[in-house]
Amino acid sequence: MIRKVLIANRGEIALRISCTLREMGIQTVAVFTEPDEHALHVQSAHEAREISSYLDASEIVRTAKESGADAIHPGYGFLSENAGFSEACEVSGLVFIGPRADTIRAMGDKLESKRVMQQAGIPIVPVWNGSPPRSEFPVLVKAVGGGGGKGMRLVQNVAELQDALASASREASAAFGDHHVFVEKYIRQPRHIEFQILGDAHGNAIHAFERECSIQRRHQKIIEETPSPAVTPELRIQMGSAALAAARAVKYRGAGTVEFIVDPSGKFYFLEMNTRLQVEHPITEMTTGLDLVREQVLIASGEKLNYAQSDLYQTGHALECRIYAEVPEENFRPDTGVIEVFERPSGPGIRLDTGVGRGSVVSYHFDPLLAKLIVWAPSRRAAIDRMKRALEDFVLLGVRNNIEFLRRVISTDDFGSGKLDTTFLDRHGEVFNVPNEVPVEALLVASTVGAVYDRPDRPAGHRLPVQDVWDSGNWRNS
Amino acid sequence: MTARELHWRVGDQEITCRIEESKGSGTFHLAGTTVPFRLLDSSHIEVSGTRHRFFVIHNRDLSTVWLDGRTYFLQRATRSTGTEIKAGTGTGEVRALMPGKLLRLTANTGDIVTEKQMIAIMESMKMESALFAPIAGRVVDVRFKPGDVVEMGDIVMVIETDQGVRHLGT
Repeated sequence: MIRKVLIANRGEIALRISCTLREMGIQTVAVFTEPDEHALHVQSAHEAREISSYLDASEIVRTAKESGADAIHPGYGFLSENAGFSEACEVSGLVFIGPRADTIRAMGDKLESKRVMQQAGIPIVPVWNGSPPRSEFPVLVKAVGGGGGKGMRLVQNVAELQDALASASREASAAFGDHHVFVEKYIRQPRHIEFQILGDAHGNAIHAFERECSIQRRHQKIIEETPSPAVTPELRIQMGSAALAAARAVKYRGAGTVEFIVDPSGKFYFLEMNTRLQVEHPITEMTTGLDLVREQVLIASGEKLNYAQSDLYQTGHALECRIYAEVPEENFRPDTGVIEVFERPSGPGIRLDTGVGRGSVVSYHFDPLLAKLIVWAPSRRAAIDRMKRALEDFVLLGVRNNIEFLRRVISTDDFGSGKLDTTFLDRHGEVFNVPNEVPVEALLVASTVGAVYDRPDRPAGHRLPVQDVWDSGNWRNS
Repeated sequence: MTARELHWRVGDQEITCRIEESKGSGTFHLAGTTVPFRLLDSSHIEVSGTRHRFFVIHNRDLSTVWLDGRTYFLQRATRSTGTEIKAGTGTGEVRALMPGKLLRLTANTGDIVTEKQMIAIMESMKMESALFAPIAGRVVDVRFKPGDVVEMGDIVMVIETDQGVRHLGT
């Protein structure tokens, strides 16, 4: 019985996990480092404890014990795919809300995971431990220790291979503490399509359909959707069976994701398994009605899955846009600052998972993901229309962000007709063009509202600018 | 009715605009055209009969305007001309930003103040706000005393630089 959970994370995912835990009557313990002292995830928890780092496994386990928690939810990122952390929890008598340590370890090794899946009869992308035959170029060099584009190189010919191996190895070593790299066949114009899986401790496994995550920048997803416009009912059955075979091959316990790449002819290959809750999990929740965090907690409590595969079906279409504090037009450089205006979009079928609000400080300390805007609608066309409207209603000022860029991307004809692949942004340079004319109305409001005087700089650490647009001074409650 | 002139830099162009305004309504003059406007609330404006949603933040000379789903970055042009009418940036006048009550003066006639020094505290809508010196200089005039009710835009204090009064208008 889980009564109290320490959430070993921050930002939107810590808040999202806390929602379900509180719905289940479970007490929540937030952890935070100094820059996050006033963050929203800290305010929403029943208890909050300061730690020195979100990556310090032993300190977090100790904090959980001290607070009387009986379980830890790792969220995504940070320690979520750290087998040692999962083990440390179990040794301390804490339930780790995630898979077993041996699963995390086997799937965290990108070569080992391919070997396991190949044995289970799942198609994998060809890999080589040294130089592949000349005919196989171009190839990708990848890190054994992790993903996210780090330690990854596209190599066009044999001559470039040695340099690419060396530089990828250096980068992998810095990013994952593991310098091992391998060579993989490069699939041209691939789509990235993944399957959500759930497995319990009693050997049952189901999948909750696919998510297409082909719109990426620097190998990181920015727009996800389900169902995938590329997945036919037949392909869904084939890929779903492969995802279930992958889950069974490692006796998967918990919520996980089996990632595939799909080539333009519709052939699919196992890429990797992510042994955690995925950033884009809400689109699955919107179309299946599941609460994946609740499922995770029930599985971790030892319960059997409440659903058989035949109980699950998808309704309508869901899209997610990741709102980042970054400037896409300036090579996606991250931006920092204080959020001065934060006006949420609302209306039917709209969900905003956010870690920030008005007054939040966005610093260089953490990932620039601010929020996720998720919409549901009966059809793909309606979901795109709804997302455009929601992005247009979403006001976030004080920190540069990608809201308008996302709207330009989903407004392209190719996005509308579902012609997606991971090189989409490379082929659509027009989405980086910002119209440079300024309407008279914009000059008018800038000239009229609050522009009479220069506003003095805020003192450092100023957090809650309780201001409105008429004001150009500093305010405090009296 | 107040009138003021502002200079913006848009791309490599410098744009001068003039606003005549009273209680949130008025006219906006830009490059030979005149548009009537009416502020409806803190985030809606009617311009030539059409309504727009907006948000504005100012940070030094950079203003960020969100208007109907699009964001514009406007740079205030350097204020070298000294042609501001009524309040303009860089003048020595400190104006009330909201209607309210003057609670306290933290600088008085004859005091030397630094740029951005707090010179007064006001109260409006149960909130306190501080007024700051727009320039460094000497306080030459204080027009209200604590307890007085002040209207938005009223000049609370005048500051003079060593070079004389920077502000040339009124």
